[in-house]
Amino acid sequence: MQLYDIPVRTMNQPYIQMKNVCFSYNTEDGRPTNQVLKNITLTINRGEFVAVLGHNGSGKSTLAKLLNLILLPDSGSIIIDGKEVTSPDLSDDEVYETRRHVGMVFQNPDNQLVATVVEEDVAFGPENLGIPPAEIRARVDKALELVGMSEYRRHSPSRLSGGQKQRIAIAGIIAMLPDCIVFDEPTAMLDPSGRAEVMNIIRMLNRDRGITVLHITHNMNEAITADRVIVINDGELCMDDTPRRVFSQVAKLHSIGLDVPQVTELLYELGLCGVELPVDVLTYEECADLLIRKIEEKK
Amino acid sequence: MNQENSNSAGTVELRGVSYIYGRGTPFEKKAIDNINLTFEPGCITGLIGHTGSGKSTLVQLLNGLLKPDEGRILVDGVDIWDEPKKQNKLRFKVGLVFQYPEYQLFEETVRRDIAYGPSNMKLSGEEIERRVVESAKFCGLDEELLDKSPFELSGGQRRRAAIAGVIAMEPRVLILDEPTAGLDPMGREDILGGMRSYQRARNSTVIIVSHSMEDMARYSDRIVVMKNGRVEASGGRTEVFSRSDMLIGAGLDVPQITRLWEILKGRGIELPDDVFTVERACEVLLDLLRTDLQTVKGR
Amino acid sequence: MLKDITLGQYFPGNSPLHRADPRMKLILTLVEITAVFLCKNMYSFILLIAFTAALVIMSRIPPRMVFRGLKPIIFIIAFTAIINIFWTKGDNLLFEFGFIKVYFEGVMFAVFMIIRIVCLLAGTSVVLTYTTSPIAITDGLEQLLAPLKKIKLPVHEFSMMMTIALRFIPTLIEETDRIMSAQKARGADFTSGSLIDRAKALVPVLIPLFVSAFRRADELAVAMECRCYRGGDGRTRMNVLRYSALDFVLLAVFALFCAAVLLINRFAPGFSL
Repeated sequence: MQLYDIPVRTMNQPYIQMKNVCFSYNTEDGRPTNQVLKNITLTINRGEFVAVLGHNGSGKSTLAKLLNLILLPDSGSIIIDGKEVTSPDLSDDEVYETRRHVGMVFQNPDNQLVATVVEEDVAFGPENLGIPPAEIRARVDKALELVGMSEYRRHSPSRLSGGQKQRIAIAGIIAMLPDCIVFDEPTAMLDPSGRAEVMNIIRMLNRDRGITVLHITHNMNEAITADRVIVINDGELCMDDTPRRVFSQVAKLHSIGLDVPQVTELLYELGLCGVELPVDVLTYEECADLLIRKIEEKK
Repeated sequence: MNQENSNSAGTVELRGVSYIYGRGTPFEKKAIDNINLTFEPGCITGLIGHTGSGKSTLVQLLNGLLKPDEGRILVDGVDIWDEPKKQNKLRFKVGLVFQYPEYQLFEETVRRDIAYGPSNMKLSGEEIERRVVESAKFCGLDEELLDKSPFELSGGQRRRAAIAGVIAMEPRVLILDEPTAGLDPMGREDILGGMRSYQRARNSTVIIVSHSMEDMARYSDRIVVMKNGRVEASGGRTEVFSRSDMLIGAGLDVPQITRLWEILKGRGIELPDDVFTVERACEVLLDLLRTDLQTVKGR
Repeated sequence: MLKDITLGQYFPGNSPLHRADPRMKLILTLVEITAVFLCKNMYSFILLIAFTAALVIMSRIPPRMVFRGLKPIIFIIAFTAIINIFWTKGDNLLFEFGFIKVYFEGVMFAVFMIIRIVCLLAGTSVVLTYTTSPIAITDGLEQLLAPLKKIKLPVHEFSMMMTIALRFIPTLIEETDRIMSAQKARGADFTSGSLIDRAKALVPVLIPLFVSAFRRADELAVAMECRCYRGGDGRTRMNVLRYSALDFVLLAVFALFCAAVLLINRFAPGFSL
């Protein structure tokens, strides 16, 4: 059983489609109060790496939980891999099948790990799916190898660092062979080295293994390398474009409480003072090039 | 600064301090190794270092939660371990806010929780009330939130309530261990801005432990860099951040702007060293481009 | 400080007792307990001591660790001994001092009781607790009792609860430490004052701990659902326990021991309970 040996990158083939999805947590007499998501319409294609940005409380985590049916929308429809998952007569089996295809990794590394031994935790998912023991073994070994934690297979999870725990959590999802993984702020509670570990794995899974990635974060550095950036503000989708085009809208992002990379910010500030420079710049090199050219011009 | 002020200004001094974890067990480790350090009073000192460099241990030594194995710790010239029975009094002088402090809230209302510290100090009811209101204001907590249960508040509000609970003890020295962990950009600015206002208003000594170079570049006056249990560097913000090699060698990153700066300098552009924030970079570049320095339009 | 509590006293190792199947060890523990109480004749007690010593040696657990496990029950042992020595009446009076009469039978009872308790504890700890990790015990229990699922006993659910509890004990201990430090930093005093004061001082620790535990439980439940957990039905296991020759050899040895005890009881001379 080969685990993701053949990257599947078929862009523009929709994998997830959300149409006019609305959600609220509270209902009084059946009417929704406190709408958390308002009329969300978006498409995620197979093999894409989509970053979802938003301030705390913007509804981005809720969006994630709708995709694997932990929550159900009040209205609107969600189609995953051609299947309408919001239909009222979806059977339990179909719900679990969706969850197998769309895995989810959460923010708190501790509260995802169930077993007292690393390899048994990674095996948890496949065990739930009723996979034969020999195959579970193969999947667990491969998953641990992919996340670089093979030598910790017999260790106790509680002794690991935050970054290592998250890697185990990711391995546990990979072992279920999902098509898509939703990462709900996976690095928010990690230190810089843990963050780097986890981001490397996420990127590798998308780039080398063709897994569709939905990465929810408020850290724009993690969104820079995405294929697309979606910005959610107060429950509404307010931007959906490439990172370059999203981050160049500096004023708008600031107004909704988000950051942009410092190079982008710098060029924007210079622009406010009358220096004409393109703002859709994300890397140090590009920025340096532009500035140097401008400096040379003035000489 | 007159003599009286500087004496009671909250000077914290470490002389030859060492601390060993797990003495006598196979896991014995010298977390802090012969540190000699003075935290300047009346300013914000950023304490930075790689994970495991000893920052958290240092911070717990400062308020007496841990006892040094070697050396002395002096607050305002007095060894904090001179009178072990008075440990509690010390806690009121050196306030410590842990990471994710919102997890320590327990009272029925926010007001009572903030009052917990002051009431342990055996203050009068009026005094406690005054402090509660004032510290809530410093932390940006609306008065109407004071009578709610802490568990009804949002994550960001709970964090502010927790910080207010420590500020209400009016400590001479305030230590915050990663106060912005897990917060979005707006939340980070609110908290750090609030701490700066607090420090300026009270002229107290504030020590912030952080992993974010950008935050430290913006909000601290002085920096202490820790590496492997020792002090690698200590000095003014400019002095420390201009030493990129030292920072990288200590397992740290440099502020994004500094990376850009290094590239520009590497390409032969003559630039001053004291640039770690976007604002300053903007100033310098505008100068360089010989543009009239228009006032940067407010956001 | 709280982190230093070692749970379950499991000593990793590679002795035959470590390597035996946990299910067999659970069975052997029961067999051993039975055997201990079957002993009546003084020769059977001598055999019991020898057998237990052999088990300790086979487990390669340092004897002083085994004796450390007996420390908590020193009181019970002493108490039992005293009761039996001074209050048991028999036929052979050993000595008299005023109204205190000590009989031979009393002394023997005391000796036998002590041997029973010591061997019981040492034996079971060496067969089970010191040589089997808590998770292995849980697995063993689950797979041993699996047939009971047919009569609707929640074997899997119980085992899952145990696993999760074991998984989170270190985490919760760390959290308690953290919360205590945080409250100490706000002036909480856990060490002075009356018992009531100290109990009250724990409220700021217990409430956040409980709230946090519930939150963890909630998040964990969601995470488990995301990994398609739906109870025990249709679940497979990666590590399926398998009996080996070693297990049956151990079973045979224990069975022989029991048979020997019974035979001795029946036919051996000498003092008997």
